[in-house]
Amino acid sequence: MNRVKLLFFATLRDRAGTKSMELDIPSELTVQGLKDKISDEYPNLKESMSSVLITINREYAFDEAVIPLNAELAMFPPVSGG
Amino acid sequence: MNFPTIFSITEDEIDLNDLLARITLTSTGAAAIFAGMVRGETTRGDAHETEYLEYEAYIPMAEAKMKQVAEEIRAKWSVIEGIAIVQRIGKLYPKRRRFSLPARPRIAIRGVFEAARYGIDRLKEIVPIWKKEVSPNGEFWVEGDYIPKAGE
Repeated sequence: MNRVKLLFFATLRDRAGTKSMELDIPSELTVQGLKDKISDEYPNLKESMSSVLITINREYAFDEAVIPLNAELAMFPPVSGG
Repeated sequence: MNFPTIFSITEDEIDLNDLLARITLTSTGAAAIFAGMVRGETTRGDAHETEYLEYEAYIPMAEAKMKQVAEEIRAKWSVIEGIAIVQRIGKLYPKRRRFSLPARPRIAIRGVFEAARYGIDRLKEIVPIWKKEVSPNGEFWVEGDYIPKAGE
């Protein structure tokens, strides 16, 4: 297993009801696998998974990327700063 | 040569004169500044009033992406010297300044406006900051539409 930290921002934080959580995930899990796992385990977030942006260690990550050990992950909607 | 570069997320009021002083060299001849404001009323499209905007950021990643935007600007416009990219977060009320990006060229003015424009456009694409609009009728998160590509 791989223990990771998952941060939520903006709409994702509201729907998750928390800013962050620690999560045990299978080793070699991909970003797509993480989205599937979140959809299954957190019904509130399921709808968000189709448009969510995901980062691994503060860089944008894509569906096929494998999540490294003890990563800092984040989930959020497209950005709206400035 | 290393030119002065400032990127920060702050809850404090932004002091443009201080930023300008910090990125000015003796070789610097001009600056372009973009400053975003909070509008109290929106008349375009769905007209409405805004009580305040609440900004939040993924701070360490946002500062890293601001640095990346500064590097992209330098790669495109070699005349640019100092660059400052600052985003204010927290609750911001109308008439308050929320964002600034001065970029200063060596000798010629050529490129400085384009560089500042590029900076604000990229900030709105890849820097993880969000705003929630709070009005007398409720509140909602403003979401962008840009999906970053690999390597961004």
